[in-house]
Amino acid sequence: MANDLDERIAPAASGPPRPVLPPSKRLVQRRRNDRLARWVVVAGGLAIIASVLGIFLFLLAQVFPLLRGARVTPGGSTPIASARPLAVLSDEAATHLATLGDDGVVRVHRRGDGALVAEQPLFPPTADGRAPPVTCGGSLFGDPGFVAATADGRVAWRAIRFDVDHRPEGPVVTPRLEPIVELVVDPQGHAVTACASSARGSSSGVVAQLADGSLFLIERVVEENLFTGEQTAATAERALACPAPLTRLVVDARRENLFGATTDGRLLWWNLLDPAAAEPRVRSVGAPITALSLLIGDQSLVVGQQDGSLTVWNRVQPEGEASRLTETHAFPRRAGAVQLITPSWRNRLFLAVEAGDRALVGFSTSTRVLWEGDLPLAGASAAAIAPKNDALLLAAPGRAERLAFDCPHPEAGLDVYFGKVWYEGYAKPEWIYQSSSGSDEAEPKISLVPLLFGTLKATLFSLLFAVPLALFAAMYTSQFMHWSLRRFVKPAVEIMASLPSVVLGFLAGLWLAPRVADFFLGLPLFVLLAPLAVVAAGRLGMALPARFRHRFHDGAAALGFIGVLAATLAAALLLSRPLEVAWFGGDFVAWMRSALGLAFDQRNCVVLGLAMGVAVIPIIFAIAEDAFSNVPKSLVSGSLALGADRWYTVTRVVLPTASPGLFSAVMIGFGRAVGETMIVVMASGNTPVMDWSPFNGLRSLSANIATEIPEAAHGTTFYRTLFLAALLLFALTFAANTAAELVRQHLRQKYARL
Amino acid sequence: MNSPIAPPPTAAPVRAPADAPARRRGNGRALIWLCGGALAFNLLLVLAQLALIAWNGLGYFWQRDLVSFELGDGRRLLGEVHAREHFRPADHPAAEELPWRIQVKVANREHTGADFVWIEEREIVRRAEPADALHFERSEWGNFHGFLRELHRGEQLLASGDAAWPALLEQIASAERQREALLDVEKGPLGDVQYALDALRLDRRRLELDAPAADERARRTAELDAREKQLDQEFAGLSERIAGLRAELESVRATCELADGTRVELPVGGLLTALRPNEMSTFDKLLCWGGRIFGFLVDQPREANTEGGIFPALFGTVLMVFLMSVAVVPLGVLAALYLREYSRQGPLVRCVRIAVNNLAGVPSIVFGIFGLGFFVYGIGGTIDELFFPEALPRATFGTGGILWAALTLALLTVPVVIVATEEGLAAVPRAVREGSLALGATKFETIWRVVLPAAAPGMLTGVILAIARASGEVAPLMIVGMVKLAPALPIDHHFPFVHFDQKFMHLGFHLFDVGFQSPDVEATKPLVFATALVLLVLVVAMNVVAITLRNRLKSRYAGSAL
Repeated sequence: MANDLDERIAPAASGPPRPVLPPSKRLVQRRRNDRLARWVVVAGGLAIIASVLGIFLFLLAQVFPLLRGARVTPGGSTPIASARPLAVLSDEAATHLATLGDDGVVRVHRRGDGALVAEQPLFPPTADGRAPPVTCGGSLFGDPGFVAATADGRVAWRAIRFDVDHRPEGPVVTPRLEPIVELVVDPQGHAVTACASSARGSSSGVVAQLADGSLFLIERVVEENLFTGEQTAATAERALACPAPLTRLVVDARRENLFGATTDGRLLWWNLLDPAAAEPRVRSVGAPITALSLLIGDQSLVVGQQDGSLTVWNRVQPEGEASRLTETHAFPRRAGAVQLITPSWRNRLFLAVEAGDRALVGFSTSTRVLWEGDLPLAGASAAAIAPKNDALLLAAPGRAERLAFDCPHPEAGLDVYFGKVWYEGYAKPEWIYQSSSGSDEAEPKISLVPLLFGTLKATLFSLLFAVPLALFAAMYTSQFMHWSLRRFVKPAVEIMASLPSVVLGFLAGLWLAPRVADFFLGLPLFVLLAPLAVVAAGRLGMALPARFRHRFHDGAAALGFIGVLAATLAAALLLSRPLEVAWFGGDFVAWMRSALGLAFDQRNCVVLGLAMGVAVIPIIFAIAEDAFSNVPKSLVSGSLALGADRWYTVTRVVLPTASPGLFSAVMIGFGRAVGETMIVVMASGNTPVMDWSPFNGLRSLSANIATEIPEAAHGTTFYRTLFLAALLLFALTFAANTAAELVRQHLRQKYARL
Repeated sequence: MNSPIAPPPTAAPVRAPADAPARRRGNGRALIWLCGGALAFNLLLVLAQLALIAWNGLGYFWQRDLVSFELGDGRRLLGEVHAREHFRPADHPAAEELPWRIQVKVANREHTGADFVWIEEREIVRRAEPADALHFERSEWGNFHGFLRELHRGEQLLASGDAAWPALLEQIASAERQREALLDVEKGPLGDVQYALDALRLDRRRLELDAPAADERARRTAELDAREKQLDQEFAGLSERIAGLRAELESVRATCELADGTRVELPVGGLLTALRPNEMSTFDKLLCWGGRIFGFLVDQPREANTEGGIFPALFGTVLMVFLMSVAVVPLGVLAALYLREYSRQGPLVRCVRIAVNNLAGVPSIVFGIFGLGFFVYGIGGTIDELFFPEALPRATFGTGGILWAALTLALLTVPVVIVATEEGLAAVPRAVREGSLALGATKFETIWRVVLPAAAPGMLTGVILAIARASGEVAPLMIVGMVKLAPALPIDHHFPFVHFDQKFMHLGFHLFDVGFQSPDVEATKPLVFATALVLLVLVVAMNVVAITLRNRLKSRYAGSAL
């Protein structure tokens, strides 16, 4: 078609017999306009089509970062003065590095030039002026600071503040060490062999094991006098039973649970809330435990072992049993022994360093390894994740290394979205969707399966209602109705398609739902009575005198049935109350709850299915009617001529021929139902439960996007998760529509041959 | 049903008919009836919905009689009866007949706590319709039901007893004039001053960002200071004037008696209309009904959208749809022209056509989230950084607004326009084109002068369908720019007159918000029905026009057989 014009004009303009005239100025102008127009239309058309397809690519681009792992790049090394660092940390702006040496001294270095900014002991000097040897030490959780224990029975900690001064040329950070807090565990001066500490507001506590194997919990509460501002500290000590010497010890922030590990591969758990249970519950895990850490939220315990296994344990309570430590996530086994595990302060990320100077960053919820690789320094003795999760810190004798860490969406992953995940506090792996809770401590539960389930459930219920009604009505309209009636009936049903879904949702949620709850029995009753009433009315109509009957066109009966059905519906609703009294003790909903154990939400799938069915019927009807009407008349005539009656012709000739078109109608109806948003938002209750009961609410992908996206900040994991939901919807409808379209095109070719 | 091809029973062939066809025929008839029943049920659904919305929506404007009730426990109520239903008391014996209760709109929200109360019919001792029962529509606290006793201006008694009612009507009329004067000042000069002050603040910020040389800075600062001083003075003067008008409005007060005998004083300035419904004839009520429908369409909302009119929502819907049409028509027509007239028909174009058809079936919420990511955060964020740095971190275009909403809907509806225009183009007979080409017209001239005019009904159908779809669509707009209550219309007399960055109100969202997120859903339901009716009329009317156009288009070319 592109060259039509030139071919047509050329011979006329330059026929050989006539003298060749130069094209007039006007013709040149017109040709230029024509070329310009072609160029504009082609470029514009292609651009529009490309941009329309670009929607898909844009969604994909928004989702793609979710699946990316972590990127770790060298961020510079800093010389440090500690001979053997026990712990390392940095401030939020990453201007300084602080280390705790095995000599019990806290040193703060400026990053970059490595200048020593502060150097102070963690322990007050003893009477004889000597610093006691440090037996174990580490970082505080959630606040910058160090804790350590000595060989003479003391435990002390010290917080570090990084004061930020916002100046025009940039923020200036000044580190400042807070006063020492010291607790004497053993006045006799036995060495502390293992210790764990926690602090929460004014109360803090330490659990320590002494060289003689005894285990103590010491709590310290600081009370401030409101008038004088004077602070008084009170300490309380409690002895705990311990069957073996411990190598690692971890206590949660509220001091409710204490976990210990032994060299012979046993994992111990004390429930500190229960004063009677001083004895721990013991689980044997095989190889010696070499590293132990709680993650944020104080539920998941990451365990690293000598043989390289790296697992996450949770307190799990199977139904009817006492809760016990259970392995919920297992990471791929490491080549060397796991030496250090350090948690993130923001989410369930952790860094594990193993023998052979290799490391791994994992995410416990998804059991996902985000990064693993070789470390740029040998013999790291301390490690940390920077407060903003933007770096990994590693310290070895004389040198500290900062690795820039970029992982914007650690909690995402295909397993999280579509697989069963063993969440903290659950008895088994499950699919769960929970709206964002705002706190970092809550484990994000963003499985899309319950939403997908809700979408399909809503679609199923609406199609169950809509498909038979729409197809039968379409068959009747196209095959049994006179054209003069069809002319009005078709647009009337199509008007239904134009009803805004927000109006349908409003009617369903506020008008229909309470009435369905009140007259529930009326619905099944109507389904039973309606066909009987219609057939009875038809019979009655046949009994009318033929002369009278012949004054109506074919299909006028359907209009009469409207009144019949309205009367039947009224009768069914009126009967529902006496039925309820007679058979269901006067209250059907209460009866169902007690006799069948079924919960009844007012906004349930029956209401939703009805409302969405109304939205879908006209679409299915319109396409199905076309499919029926397009069946070549010659086929129908042939069948009738061979003596088949009309019903036989329709079911054996028309229906099989039109069936691909009907399939396409149903697929397009499916696509519409899947994407329906406002009706689901308004009539479904929006509860993400996975349950086939028709009396429950649900939450669909589309409704979830509509209700949650205003809360999602741009670029966050949650934001991208909603884009993933949109992509899923896109894919579902695209698949359904493409199938329908292909079938329809195939059908068109077939009819062309007939 | 009457089947013309069924052979008459008398014309039986020689051999007795086989059993099966006879049975089939009998079944067939019943099954055909059932199919007819399915169609009838669909039609019933359409009719029932339209009737339900029309009845409830139009009923919202009807002034009902005020009924006074005396209950067994001594309570006295005055209100409109809205519903009557069976209910199930907590300790009701299951087998017994359920008692009736009625829903009464007692109004007087500040005294009763809720607009609507349910009372059990068996508790009613006496019911009457007092002729002097009053119905006020107020600018605050919803409606008022009671009896008028006295009218005061300050301490001075203006009228009492029977004379109070005509005096009150007079006062209400003058109060309305005062309110209009007040509104003129608030919206006019005061609004301008506030707008100028806001612009001044941005100018200061821009000065900071520009960081010019010291003398330049001093000059500009002095200029801004002078302007600010002048504006502040103007502002103070206007505020004084407004305070004066307010005081005047407050000065006249009506003393009324509630149903239970308590006396309350109401400022007449806060009364919008006063009626004695029980004295009104049906014709009066009909006039009042028409006036309320008109008022509903042209008034501003009150009390967080739960009362008053829906004008801003209607205006926002129409403006947004207009902007969308401006965007979608050239895009859709261009794409359709390309697909039908310029491209080489082949597998590629077939794929594109399938993709475009598919796009029409993609859920609207997907477009919404796309609009948020692409238009709002992508393009809008960039515009803010480049052109409105002084307003940051407050976003100008980097947040939902009417332009982004219109563009999102344009994307959503572009397939509809493409498909309809293509159909229109395809229906133009080949001979017409060939005739034009044969006369020496270029291809573009043929399309522009011959094909497009012939295809215009098709394009129009597409545009109307697009508009109908866009005006009913809510989900994507919730994300890209609709708000519950927009303080200002997106068009005003401040440069550049149309504010594309402004959020706007929309009928559909208004319906969702008032129906589902207002504190007293039961009380606002009638208003939601009225809004639904407006939306429905808008959408259905456009669809009817589109369907009629399409039918005309079909019949125009159906007979030509070219």
